[in-house]
Amino acid sequence: MNTVTRLLRDFFVSLQLTVVLLILSLVLVFVATLDQVNLGIWAVQEKYFRSLFVMWTAPGTGLALPVFPGGYLIGSLLLLNLVFAHIYRFQLTWKKLGIQLAHAGIILLLIGELLTGLLQQDSYLRLDTGETKSFSESQRGMELAILDLTNPAYDEVVAVPESVIAEKGLIQHPKLPFKVRIQGYHPNATMQRREQAPGAAPTLATAGIGTQIALVPLPITYKTDERNMPAVYAEVLGTEGSLGIWLLSPALGMPQTFSYQNRNFQLTLRSTRYYRPFTVQLLKFTHDKYPGTEIPKNFASRVRVKSDDKQTDREVLIFMNNPLRYGGYTFYQAGYENNDQTSILQVVRNPGWLIPYVSCIMMGLGLCIQFGFHLTGFIRKRSAVT
Amino acid sequence: MSLRRFPTQTMVVLLVMLITGCKDREITAYRAPKDAAQPVPGSPVGMANTNDLPPGHPPIGGTPATTPADASAPMAGAQMRGGGGIPVVTEGNAITWAAPTHWIAKPNGAVRKGSYTVPGDGGATADLSITAFPGDTGGLFANVNRWRGQVGLAPIAESELQGSLEHLDTNGFHIEIVTLAGTSNSLLGAIVPFNGQTWFFKLAGPAAIITKEKAGFRDFLRTVKPAQL
Repeated sequence: MNTVTRLLRDFFVSLQLTVVLLILSLVLVFVATLDQVNLGIWAVQEKYFRSLFVMWTAPGTGLALPVFPGGYLIGSLLLLNLVFAHIYRFQLTWKKLGIQLAHAGIILLLIGELLTGLLQQDSYLRLDTGETKSFSESQRGMELAILDLTNPAYDEVVAVPESVIAEKGLIQHPKLPFKVRIQGYHPNATMQRREQAPGAAPTLATAGIGTQIALVPLPITYKTDERNMPAVYAEVLGTEGSLGIWLLSPALGMPQTFSYQNRNFQLTLRSTRYYRPFTVQLLKFTHDKYPGTEIPKNFASRVRVKSDDKQTDREVLIFMNNPLRYGGYTFYQAGYENNDQTSILQVVRNPGWLIPYVSCIMMGLGLCIQFGFHLTGFIRKRSAVT
Repeated sequence: MSLRRFPTQTMVVLLVMLITGCKDREITAYRAPKDAAQPVPGSPVGMANTNDLPPGHPPIGGTPATTPADASAPMAGAQMRGGGGIPVVTEGNAITWAAPTHWIAKPNGAVRKGSYTVPGDGGATADLSITAFPGDTGGLFANVNRWRGQVGLAPIAESELQGSLEHLDTNGFHIEIVTLAGTSNSLLGAIVPFNGQTWFFKLAGPAAIITKEKAGFRDFLRTVKPAQL
């Protein structure tokens, strides 16, 4: 073994590294908790935990500098540290079985968290009583959806995520006979009727309802009970030149439409949609409250799940702590609105959901075995003395 | 497993991170069933629909930056009711009232049936809350002393209770009213037993506002009635 390898090995198997990493994670959690006041929970998760480094932008420069290891870096190093220490000190003896099992459980737990962070997808399914939907929507993610409505049976959709729109570039796709240039993008904005805002800046829009609207950009909100309402100016470029610039925003409440080459198109800025190969219909929503208060006691949604391949058609009752698990997704009762006429289900896809359960069983079993060995050894020793 | 494989493993982990990190930057194309026709929401109350939007177009703007994103939040619509002398009907237990026009309705939260900000001079405000609980909630005496404690007054003896109350008979209700001038804050409270429940109307805030609103509070209590009347 050469010197570099030995140094690396000593570094990764050392207990000092474990202690340093645990202290770093303590500091990270502490600072992130304090910063929730400024950023809110989801921005804190992205900035501190779901990143390799915590970045800090030097005031006035726009230059982002890494100032502290992020959750992914600390977690990955902890995982490596644990795995290497495990391998290095591994002894295949019955006596060590408990400790090996407990450590393997922790390793599995860390891997599970990494998988969850990378692969978990959260969205919401909002259903009015009687309504059927085959898609759920992202809570925060937005997309520019370009729909070809020509076929009466279905829509051809091209969905552009907000991160691409934010670059204000040229968007093209083989399914579109035109290109779309983003002429303006505001991550949060409110809008007014133009005649009610005489001093407003001139609009970029040349077509659709946007010509009558004055746009007022707002700072991005990080509060958990508020949401950003983005707005874009999208210019459609056909082979003959510009077809017009449309203002798009979820605040408009309506998509914009136009025709090109005898096909009907629709432009809309909406919450990112995730379509599924099955439909969910809300049959009934119940909402009980504690007497004398508005505090919810129980909410429950009776839904009907129908798969596109007609293999499944069943009714399920979803209520608190009793989600529906179907097709790799978990549907939790998350809320209600619209005078109890609308039920909101949280839809979670987490391929690694079983890992924490397995790892906890492994850790519990490992500790039982470890302490069991100690106990029997102790009892044997004591009975030998007496 | 040899430790020499470390760089390979790290590369694999980093590669997985990078690949999955790029996931939300893809433009996707798919075929989707047509959306059901969306019902067009009406204009918010009090907003004249005099614009020249296309027929069927919903109102522009809405409440973008303040739209509750928290799905479990109570209905946003609850914040709009009340105020302006518009009668307010609570669900289920059916008591109505009409708040004076200068009171500003605010969200009820989890416990309140009605909630208003009562503005005073120089930006000062008082808080009016309407709550209801089953039973007699400990009785008049306990509740008056509870309110006294809230404005920093010492409790009274049961024999002094009747002397501290005013009465108002209106719309079939017998309402007990109590006026408490505390050290920093004052309080006007009314207790209304109805249908096995006890309703509390409490106006609390700076003494200047409470004194000014006293007559208005009594007038307000006269608008309180069972919903079916």
